[in-house]
Amino acid sequence: MTVETSTLATAALAILVLLLIFGGVAKLATAGRDADPGGLSRLGPGVLVPERWRKPFMIFCAVGEFVLAAGLLFTRHPLPRWGTIAFFSVATYVLWELRRRRPDVGCGCFGEASGSPVGLRSIGRAAVLAGMAVVVTLVPVSGTDLWSEASLNLAESLGAGLALLVLLSPEMGEGIARVRHRAPCEQRPVPASRALSRLRTSTEWRSHAPSLTSEEPSDSWRELCWRFFVYPGRTAAGAETEVVFAVYLSGRRPPVRVAVVGTDGPGTGSDDILQESIGVSAGR
Amino acid sequence: MGVERRYALASAALGRSAVPPQVEVEEHPTLSAISGQIIDISPHLVIVENPDGEEERLIIAPWATAWHGAQVAPADLPIGTRVMIRARQSGRVAERIWGDVTRVTGVILSLEEERRDLTIEVDCGPHRGRRAIVVPYGASGRIRVRHPQLEPGYLFDAIGIRREGVTHVRLPATSQPPYRATAVPAPPPAYRGVQSRISGAAAWSDAFDDGEAGAAYPMLEGADSDCEDAGVSCTGLPYLALGSMLYVGNVCEAHAAVLPIVACGCMAGRFCDRCVECGTSPRGRIVELSPASFVELGGELTKGCFNARVGLG
Repeated sequence: MTVETSTLATAALAILVLLLIFGGVAKLATAGRDADPGGLSRLGPGVLVPERWRKPFMIFCAVGEFVLAAGLLFTRHPLPRWGTIAFFSVATYVLWELRRRRPDVGCGCFGEASGSPVGLRSIGRAAVLAGMAVVVTLVPVSGTDLWSEASLNLAESLGAGLALLVLLSPEMGEGIARVRHRAPCEQRPVPASRALSRLRTSTEWRSHAPSLTSEEPSDSWRELCWRFFVYPGRTAAGAETEVVFAVYLSGRRPPVRVAVVGTDGPGTGSDDILQESIGVSAGR
Repeated sequence: MGVERRYALASAALGRSAVPPQVEVEEHPTLSAISGQIIDISPHLVIVENPDGEEERLIIAPWATAWHGAQVAPADLPIGTRVMIRARQSGRVAERIWGDVTRVTGVILSLEEERRDLTIEVDCGPHRGRRAIVVPYGASGRIRVRHPQLEPGYLFDAIGIRREGVTHVRLPATSQPPYRATAVPAPPPAYRGVQSRISGAAAWSDAFDDGEAGAAYPMLEGADSDCEDAGVSCTGLPYLALGSMLYVGNVCEAHAAVLPIVACGCMAGRFCDRCVECGTSPRGRIVELSPASFVELGGELTKGCFNARVGLG
């Protein structure tokens, strides 16, 4: 049993180190490429901090990941292990918060590759990695165990862990689409009918369908990787509203966002009405 | 539904701020554009009636120049001329005046030679229709040098003056692309994500309302913009919509503005040319601006383009 636990811990260590290094390199590459990282796709928790801090924040994150990866690989000291738990626990919370406050931004976990909006998979991945960090802390293995523990069991554990992470990685869907289409989502033509059929199968549609007063959208347009549909609606009190659905155009089960706004809300510059409606109804 | 509500509705759905972003203070344009019709002009003062019917009085700067088919002294502009003025000092000092300036951008449909002048019929896109223009003999050499394929099916882009309803072309606005209008090169494969700012050439068009600030963008979905020819560009541009806010920066002058997309730039997307206003821009006409916005960003109407960077506002 001890052998199995240490094998699991070694596999978890390998996965953690691999992901920390990949994440760090991708973040540095994104930060170094442009003076305005992810200005268009608006990446990561950086959007929650003031604009001038976004690039330093990304670089700080990347350096932190390298330090943790090195600590896990070369020492058995508990400090980098607790640091890794803290890193992924905070990441889980921050992604949850990001999803609630800015549903249009990607997690930025792997820099520009993580441009699709934060969903339960990204949050689940951070939570799983935090769990792996707990395992590595309880069974303090290091890089030298990777060689001494090398066995079929270790390969199986490693394979299972990586498969789980692939399932939890929204980057894979966009990666496959890029290989097929050679263009990022923002540049691919996507018929409006496909987005509409995706919308009709979403839980957001089902929960708001009773309040809609028309089957046909009153307006529809596309901006970057989102298609918007506006439907006229009515609240329970009888006030006229507009229900705005935003459908992400990449992935098999794309995120759908929704907001209910008063017909005199946006466009008249009334920010209060808007903010209120976001808090009540935006998000999944 | 008006497209001007789209930005606010999209912001509500995605949790963005409903107030469009602003450009940095140092990039804020210090120039203003004033359009109208000359009521009176002297060497030192010009009075114009703007599109709202109000009179505007501007001092003509000693260094000011004017264009009315050719370089002229400002005082030589005839009364009644429709002008676009670039002004400084909060719009009180005129330093550049363009009179009756117009631009013809489109696909050549037919050519006809009348005495020594050439009459060309140009398809300027679904929203702008067809225009018949005259290339006077005196300008034909300049036009032919920059438009070697002066035959139906090829692109045409020139600047001229409009007098009594007839457009007389005076200057080529660009070097004609060597391909037919239907054979626009495909954008290069994108091996990385969409960049936050895309560089290329910004042109102007007179298809906007008088004095309107806004931009025409090529990469719109045809169904959303009532423009079947939209969605063509030789640059890897992301899809945006009518009503989106677009950051447009003039690389040469360090001015920038966030402008609404108000029209479909279906003709601009077919031009895979470069602007050489300051250095050589990357290939591709990425945005078409209204004359007022073009002038406020520091562009020269008679030069036709500036090196630009665009991005989502």
